[in-house]
Amino acid sequence: MTESTGGDKSSWDVPTGRRTDEWSECLTLIAEKQDRAAFTRFFRHFAPLIKAFALSGSTMSQMHADELVQEVMLKTWQKAKAFNPEKAAASTWVYTIARNCRTDMFRRLQKFDTPLAAEDFTPETDSEEPFSILQSKRSSDKIRELMAGLPTDQAQILAKVYMEGKSHAEAAAELDLPLGTVKSRVRLAIQKLHIQIERQ
Amino acid sequence: MTKFHPELHLLTEYAAGDLPLAQSACVSAHMHYCDQCRRAVGQLQDLGGVLLEQLDPEPVGDAMLDAVLARLDEEPPLMYSQQSEEVAVSRTPAILRRLMSGDFSDLSWKKVSKALSISYLKTGDSGYEFALYHIKAGGRIPDHDHRGSEMTLILQGGFSDANGSYHVGDFIYRETDDTHAPTALQSEDCICLAVLDAPLKFTGWKHRWMNPFLRLQAG
Repeated sequence: MTESTGGDKSSWDVPTGRRTDEWSECLTLIAEKQDRAAFTRFFRHFAPLIKAFALSGSTMSQMHADELVQEVMLKTWQKAKAFNPEKAAASTWVYTIARNCRTDMFRRLQKFDTPLAAEDFTPETDSEEPFSILQSKRSSDKIRELMAGLPTDQAQILAKVYMEGKSHAEAAAELDLPLGTVKSRVRLAIQKLHIQIERQ
Repeated sequence: MTKFHPELHLLTEYAAGDLPLAQSACVSAHMHYCDQCRRAVGQLQDLGGVLLEQLDPEPVGDAMLDAVLARLDEEPPLMYSQQSEEVAVSRTPAILRRLMSGDFSDLSWKKVSKALSISYLKTGDSGYEFALYHIKAGGRIPDHDHRGSEMTLILQGGFSDANGSYHVGDFIYRETDDTHAPTALQSEDCICLAVLDAPLKFTGWKHRWMNPFLRLQAG
């Protein structure tokens, strides 16, 4: 792995494969020592990104966006012990928390009467899943590296689907494109990012 | 090993949190049986993390940092307990266990025909019908065509239709109103989860309350 790709954020300790990037280390410090200084660094980096995430759908009010940022950051503190640096990048972990909190917030605002929280939708995994660990160790860095080469129209669709939380059909309607075009752009982007969908 | 999976687009929408609650639950339940889809979703979530990192940051003031720091000593909600080992090996997907009290046999089943009984589970998603179908071994579901989408996940036994035969963990998604008549395998009763979108409920779920002008056609 060259150091040109994620700068300071994607370095590895080769022998154990343990993540040693700054944000994973922060989470480890929070989990093991309830380190408030580490949390403050983590907050200053991620809170502005969570806020951008909250506002990118353009349907969330400033007030709700601020509420979401606080909720997500508080959860990172409370759940830091569940973070496994060998299984996921800190950014992936924060992303899933932000995504779940946003989903729960929308459902709350819509007065969904459901016994399920967004977190419940994460499938249980066996504690030992060596292949998955091997894969995800490299996945984030590789995706980050390949993202630069993505054509604008494909990157735009990914932003709509992931950051704005639009379904493919909603993205198609908004961009005035046929659904098939949106689907094929997503498929091409995912191929270019070398995300493997194994099928025997 | 499952042979029929949600296609890439469903996995992407699942990973991005875009699927309606009921459909998301069905995809999640499939992953209980399917390592391949779990790994794919893992990478699709990595993509979410990378996209998050690449957003233009929105300024967040120190007041909010202070507010969060002041709340760090709050008792965390109890839901963050780690899954125990025995839970992880349970046969029924966790998301379904959250919606049922007890086992399949404890549910109240409504007899629809000689071969078919249905038990409706309450997800809170009014746009979709979320139900378990119990088909007697060798029994045939009466012909039905459904206007809209239909997700099916096999939880026990299996069935076959004109397109093939399906076993535990297999996931089938139909978007159009083609008629089909699945027949349960002879060897054992079949239980499957069926998620059908209710007719005339085609509005994007997230935007309904916020913007009455954003009425989008799904599918």
